[in-house]
Amino acid sequence: MDILAQLIVSGISVGMIYGAIAFGYQLTFSTSQTLNFGQGEALMLGALVGLTTVNFLIGQSIATPLAYLLMLPVVLAFGCVQGVVVEVLGVRQAIRTGSESGWIMATIALGIIFRNLAENIWGRDALKFPSPLTETALTIGPVHIQPMEIAITLGTLALALAVEVFNRKSIYGKAVVATSSDRDAAGLMGINTRLVITFSYALSSVSAALAGVLVAPVTLTGANMGAVLGLKAFAVAIIGGLSSGLGVFVGGMILGVAETLTGFYLSTGYKDVPGLVLLLIVLSVKPSGLFGKKGIKKV
Amino acid sequence: MNIKTLLCGAATLCLLTGTAAAADPIKVGLAGPFTGGSSSMGVSMRDGVKLAVAEINKAGGVLGRQIQLIERDDEAKNELGAQIAQELINKEQVVATLGFINTGVGQASQRFYQDAEIPVLNNVATGTVLTRQWPDAKSNYVFRNAAADSIQSAMIAEEAVVRHGFKKPAILNDATNYGMLGRSDLVAALAKLNVKPVTEEKFNVGDTDMTAQVLKAKGAGADVILTYAIGPELAQIANAMAKLGWKVPLIGSWTLSMATFIDTAGANGDGAMMPQTFIEAPTTPKRAAFIAAYHKAYGGDRMPSPVSAAQGYDSAYLLAAAITQAKSTDGPKILAALENLQTRVEGVVTTYDRPFSATDHEAISSNIPVFGLVKGGRVVAAHPEDLAGDKAVRVKPKG
Repeated sequence: MDILAQLIVSGISVGMIYGAIAFGYQLTFSTSQTLNFGQGEALMLGALVGLTTVNFLIGQSIATPLAYLLMLPVVLAFGCVQGVVVEVLGVRQAIRTGSESGWIMATIALGIIFRNLAENIWGRDALKFPSPLTETALTIGPVHIQPMEIAITLGTLALALAVEVFNRKSIYGKAVVATSSDRDAAGLMGINTRLVITFSYALSSVSAALAGVLVAPVTLTGANMGAVLGLKAFAVAIIGGLSSGLGVFVGGMILGVAETLTGFYLSTGYKDVPGLVLLLIVLSVKPSGLFGKKGIKKV
Repeated sequence: MNIKTLLCGAATLCLLTGTAAAADPIKVGLAGPFTGGSSSMGVSMRDGVKLAVAEINKAGGVLGRQIQLIERDDEAKNELGAQIAQELINKEQVVATLGFINTGVGQASQRFYQDAEIPVLNNVATGTVLTRQWPDAKSNYVFRNAAADSIQSAMIAEEAVVRHGFKKPAILNDATNYGMLGRSDLVAALAKLNVKPVTEEKFNVGDTDMTAQVLKAKGAGADVILTYAIGPELAQIANAMAKLGWKVPLIGSWTLSMATFIDTAGANGDGAMMPQTFIEAPTTPKRAAFIAAYHKAYGGDRMPSPVSAAQGYDSAYLLAAAITQAKSTDGPKILAALENLQTRVEGVVTTYDRPFSATDHEAISSNIPVFGLVKGGRVVAAHPEDLAGDKAVRVKPKG
């Protein structure tokens, strides 16, 4: 029983990272029916920019936890700009011409370019990210947990909550919601849907960049850190449903927990299998995802 | 101007170009991953080789010619390694190549050297298969001065079972060629000591959470964890053990000395043990001089990978000795010289006294490596008595 609790806790903290990246997919998909296949690279860039900033601040003899907090706005601003770049270069043209697949190739290409860029700037080595919190584990009942794992969970939840409050309470958020429900109608109501889509891309990269700096202290940072995470988050987005913000986080937790449980009870060699089996089942039973709303495509 | 003077001029010209050719540098290939995840080993190896070559050149070079290194970064990629091998052989026309950190890159590259009859001194890659790729060939152009995996797995099993008396080892390895082959070597070595691992767990390169693997080892009642993986994932194991508040010794292949393990695991990695052909400690005057020269040339006070640096350094001296003895840069002649090296080569890992023969291309025997121990961010000798007194230089027994 103790072991089960430990496995679930560890699985959730991994799953929240998947969820945060998948949340980025969901943000842009709801407004524009497109998504950034370079989301893993957005995460990687966020982590590396964060690393450089933190190291710079530590070099100015600022304590690590404070440096980490001061770094967050820089990384979030960077994520914002990076998301806009992706939208302008990769997606806008495809949406304008009504291309069904142009944005797929464009965002993949941008992802590769970003990775090469990062390899040239930061090198190909895996770099250690200074941890803002103590690396000594806390013991809560039978469960051992690293403070950073708690920070991952709280950080990603805070992000999702902030976006949700923004959407419900602010007039700009309502524009986003309106664009998500019906882009054409929103456009007719005077909402600048193009701007809303650009904004959703910015927000999407912000969530990836945040996920990057949250996960970096428990792993290593490097140009290739985003590839596997981006792919797993894609599976999560499909399991949870691309139209539901809540769904992707639940999907993330399901995948994270499934991985650790299989690793322990079945075999560590098959750790990645149940997630993918789940993906296949969801695709065949409920293609819009566990929490997805069924889309009706009017012709 | 008559025909005589013309001929005379032509002859002088021939002589001049002739002497020019004799003074041409001897080109030696140097290949390894100088960027990417294995770069701490690749860069240390490269720096070790460069240090030795600079010393050799300063002392007049080999056969009166300077050695020129042609460096290529294989990025630990097999296909790139194969391309570099062909470039070094066909375009640069090297007389020999030193290098290879990754067994896969070595396997992909060595075929070209074998076909071109150009010797390779494998100075870091440990895959047992590397020196035995062509059992039926007339001659084998691949030599090694690194501790092969078969030596290491036996040492790990011996250290855990005999020296420390552990009876319930758990094996954790990554799912790469390196990890899987290492695990089977390890299981075989344990079986010889009548010990069966209580559990064998694997993980993928890039995995960030080892909770499940460590819990399984704990659940199986393991009293020691034996590893075959590389730095970042090894660090995740150490971190997961610390997180779960479970501490058993970590003993594994020499990759536990990688900077990515030591730096990422921090205090959690202290106490990890691994076979090392070289410990960064001035146990002999030769080693002291090498360590000082290394830090003078490249700065810092800790080599990223002391083993790679030392083996790289020695490999250059072995090659120089062979070319001197062969009095030629011909591949087959260098091969013959390596297989029957008359001069004793005093290296930093060991003193090489006829290190190779026609049937044995491994310079490092199982008595040479000692166990290293991670302590405060450095690798120190796990059992200082192993390197004390006349045991400091451990020499391959005459076979």
